Amino acid sequence: MIKIENLSVSFGAAEAVKNVTLEIGAGEILGVVGESGSGKSVTALTLMGLVSETARITSGRISFDKETLLEAGKPYDKALYRKFLGCRMSMVFQEPMTSLNPTKRAGRQVEEMLRLHREAWRPQGSEASGGERKRKGRELPGALTERDKAEGEDIRRRVLEIFRAVGLKDEERVYESFPHQLSGGMRQRVMIAMAAVLRPDLMVCDEPTTALDVTVQNQIIELLREINEKQKNAMLFITHDLNLARRLCHRVAVMKDGRVVETGPTEELFKNPREEYTRKLMEAVPSRMRKYGGIADSFAREYMGERPGEQIRGRGVCGEMEGPGDTERAENTEGPGDAVLEVRDLSVYYQEGSNSLFARNRKKCAVEAATFAIRRGEVLGLVGESGCGKTSLSKAILGMNRDIRGSVVHHSPHPQMIFQDPYGSLNPAKTIGWLLQEPLRARGRREASFRMSEADRRAAAYDMLRKIGLPETYYARKPAQLSGGQRQRVSIGQALITEPGLVIADEPVSALDVTIQAQIMELMQKFREEMGLSYLFISHDINVIYQMSDRIMVMKDGRIIEQGDTETVFHSPKEAYTRLLLSES
Amino acid sequence: MRYLGKKFITLIITLFMVSVAAFVAFQIIPGDVVTSILGTEATPEREEQLRAELGLDQPPAKRYVNWITDVLRGDLGVSYRYSKNMNEMMPVTELIGDKLPVTLCLAAVSLFLIILVSIPLGVLWARSRNRILDAALSVATQVSMAIPSFFLGILVTYLLGICLKLFTPGGYVSYRESFWGFLGYLLFPAVSVAIPKIAMTARFLRNSLLTEMGSDYVRTAYSKGCSDKRVMYGHVLRNAMMPVVTFLGMIIAEIVAGSIVVEQVFGLPGVGRLLISSISTRDFPVVEILILYITFVVIFVYFLVDVLYRVIDPRISGR
Repeated sequence: MIKIENLSVSFGAAEAVKNVTLEIGAGEILGVVGESGSGKSVTALTLMGLVSETARITSGRISFDKETLLEAGKPYDKALYRKFLGCRMSMVFQEPMTSLNPTKRAGRQVEEMLRLHREAWRPQGSEASGGERKRKGRELPGALTERDKAEGEDIRRRVLEIFRAVGLKDEERVYESFPHQLSGGMRQRVMIAMAAVLRPDLMVCDEPTTALDVTVQNQIIELLREINEKQKNAMLFITHDLNLARRLCHRVAVMKDGRVVETGPTEELFKNPREEYTRKLMEAVPSRMRKYGGIADSFAREYMGERPGEQIRGRGVCGEMEGPGDTERAENTEGPGDAVLEVRDLSVYYQEGSNSLFARNRKKCAVEAATFAIRRGEVLGLVGESGCGKTSLSKAILGMNRDIRGSVVHHSPHPQMIFQDPYGSLNPAKTIGWLLQEPLRARGRREASFRMSEADRRAAAYDMLRKIGLPETYYARKPAQLSGGQRQRVSIGQALITEPGLVIADEPVSALDVTIQAQIMELMQKFREEMGLSYLFISHDINVIYQMSDRIMVMKDGRIIEQGDTETVFHSPKEAYTRLLLSES
Repeated sequence: MRYLGKKFITLIITLFMVSVAAFVAFQIIPGDVVTSILGTEATPEREEQLRAELGLDQPPAKRYVNWITDVLRGDLGVSYRYSKNMNEMMPVTELIGDKLPVTLCLAAVSLFLIILVSIPLGVLWARSRNRILDAALSVATQVSMAIPSFFLGILVTYLLGICLKLFTPGGYVSYRESFWGFLGYLLFPAVSVAIPKIAMTARFLRNSLLTEMGSDYVRTAYSKGCSDKRVMYGHVLRNAMMPVVTFLGMIIAEIVAGSIVVEQVFGLPGVGRLLISSISTRDFPVVEILILYITFVVIFVYFLVDVLYRVIDPRISGR
C-alpha cells in the first residue's frame, strides 16, 4: 500500500538516507530497527513530509495507494500532503513530554484532528456545509447555531470514546487536563489517541516508548498491537530496541548508515539473520540470558570505529569478582567488615513550593527509611521506575541534599558520580583535557596534600584518556566534537581520576545506543577490577542491572522493597512488584 | 486567589521600604530647603517661622511618621516650590493630579500603538520567506532601536509637524479644553515613544516565534495536517507570546513611569517634566511622592504581567 522506492535524502553534503526501499502492506506492522544516526527517523519524517527544509530528496519516490506523494526533483506538495496527513496517515513521536502543545487542553488537541478533517468522519453530504458554517462562525463569534452545538457534542463524544479506547481511564479529567498535568505514559496515550482517532491507513510511530518506563512501555506496545488488530491499519514502527520490534512487528527492516541492510519477516530474521550487522545488533542487546563476553568490545572495533580500552575478554560473571585491589585498601577502613558505604534509616525530603517569601514550605518524603551497605568491590544495582526516589537517594548519599534523617557513613574517600546525560553534564566550553583535570584541581584547592603541579595533572589526564579508551588527540577537543558514548567515557574518567572508592552511576547508559551501552558497561567493569571500585549502579532497565550488579535493590515509591543477590532476586523474587518488573522486560 | 493576596502583601511591603528609603535619602542630601526657598538674605526669624510651618523643626523619625500617615490619609503634603497664589501653598495632590493624566494618556496611546503594530509585524516577519523583506525589517528595526528618543522626537516634529503639517509643534491642547484635540496632539509624542519599542517587541516576538516553530509540538501539529496559518495562530503564537508579555511589562513600566525626554521635546506638561524640575529645585515632597508613584506603577505592572502569565500559561497556575 505504501511504497518508498530508492529514497535518498541528504543534508548538505551528508547523505542521511541512501537508496532506501520499503514497502508496507495494508494492516501490516513494519519495524525499522537501527542505531541513532542510521537514518530511520529521517526516512519516517520524509514519508510524512515533515523532514526539515534543509533536507534534499536526491532520488526516489514515495507513493501511497497509487498516488505519488513525493518524487525527487519535484517540489514538496503541501496541499496534497495536507489531504493525507492526519486522516490517512498520522504519526506518534518519541517525546511525549514536548510533542503536545503545552497551552492547550489534551481534549482540545485531539478535537483539532476531527475539526481539521471533517470529511473523514462526517456523513457524506454534510461536507459542503462545513466550510460555509465556518465562515458564518467567523462573522458571528459566540453565536452558535444548533448544528454547531450538535457537532461540538459529537466531536467531544468521539474524543472521549477514543480516550477510553486507548486506556485512559478517567477520560473526562484527561480531556480537561493540560499536558503537564498528565504522566508520560498518559501523554503518549493522548498522542496515540490523536493519531488513531480518524482511523488512518498508516500510523508512523517513531520510538514511541523510548522515553517511558518499562512497565508503561509494555502497555503502549500492547495498545499499538490492539489498535492494529481493531482498526486494521498499517504501522511503521521505528525503534532501536530489537526486543520491542520482535514483539510487535510482522516484518522488520534493519538500517545502518542510511541503508537498509536486511529485511524479512520478524521470526525468520531473528532466527537466521543473514547479515553480520544484524547478528551483532542482536547480541549487543542486554539480556538476562547471558552476561558479558567481550562481544561489545569486538563489535566496537569492527563497526563503530571507536578504539576500545584494554580488553577483558571472557572475564565472565561479575558475581565471582572479589576485587583485586581489596587487600591493601581494606586496611585503612574503620568501618565494620569491608563496607565502603553504610546507609541506615535514611529518609530524604524535598521542599515543595515556591521560593516566595510567604510560601509555606511543604516537605515531601522522597526516600523512606532506606537501609543498606555497599561492600568493597561490589556493584549494588538500584532499579525502579522514574520518580521512585533513586536519584534523591543518590544525591543524599553524596551530600548534595542535606535535608535528610538517618545516617550515611562513607568508608572511602571522595565518592564520585557519573550522570545520565553525557550531553548536558560536560561543560561545552572546555577541552576534554581540562575537564579531566578539573576534579584534581578542585580537590587540590580543598586539601593541600593533594595539590599537584600542572605537569602532573596533565600526565594524569593523558593517562586517564588512555584508560577510558580515547586517543590522545582528544585531549584538546571540546565535548561537542565527541559522540555520546565518548562523552560518557569522559564522564567516567572525570569520576575516576581522583581514585574514589565508591562511584554512584545514575543511569549512565540510558541515553546511549545498545552497542555503545555495552561498551560503557564493559569499561565500568574494567575499572572496577583494576581499581577495586564499588558502584551504586542506578537504572530503570532491569536487564542492564542484571548484567552489572552483584546485589540488587528494588525501589518503589521511595521505599526499598526488596534487596538481595542478583541471582536470588531474579530467580525467586519475593515481591509482586519485582515479579512485574521482571516479567515486563 | 491566595497567590494574588500574597503578591499584594509583597507590593505593600516594597512600597513601605521605598518610602523609607526615599525619605532617608532626602535627609542625607545636602542643601537646606528653607534657605533655598527664602534665599540667603532672609532674617533668622523668618527662617525659623518657615521651618516650623513646614514641620522641619521636628526630628526626622517623627517627620517620617507624620508624612506617611498623611500620605495614607490621602494628604500628600504641599510643594515647597509651587504656590497657588501669594498666600496659599500648592498641595502635591493638585500638582500631580494635573500632570498624571497627561503621562498616563501618553503611555496608553503609546502602548496601544506598540501592541497594534509590533505583534502583526513580528508574525509577518517570522513567517516571511522573502529574503528582501527579512533584511529590510532587520535593518529598519535595528535603526529605530538605535535612534535616541530625543532625536526621534525632533524628527517626528519636523517631518509630521512642520513638513506634513499634521500637528502644530508646541501647540499642546489641554485635556480640560478639548479631549480630542489633546489626544490628537498626544498621538505624535506617542509615535516617538512607540517606534523604538515597536522595533524591539517585533524583533523579540519574531525570535520567540522562530524558537517555538522548532518545537516538537509544532511538528505534531503539522503531522495532523494543519496549514501554516493554523500552526501559527492555533499553536505557536500563544506559546511565543509568553516571553513577549514579560518584555511588554518592562516596556509598560518604563513608559508609564514617565517618558521624560519625550515630554520635554513635545512640551507636554507630564510627570516626567515635573520630576526634573522638582529635583533641580529640591522640592522634596513632590519628588518623594513621584518616587512612590513610579515604584507603585512598576510593581503593579509586573503584578499584572504575572496575572496575565497565569492566564496564558496553564503550567504556572497549577503550582
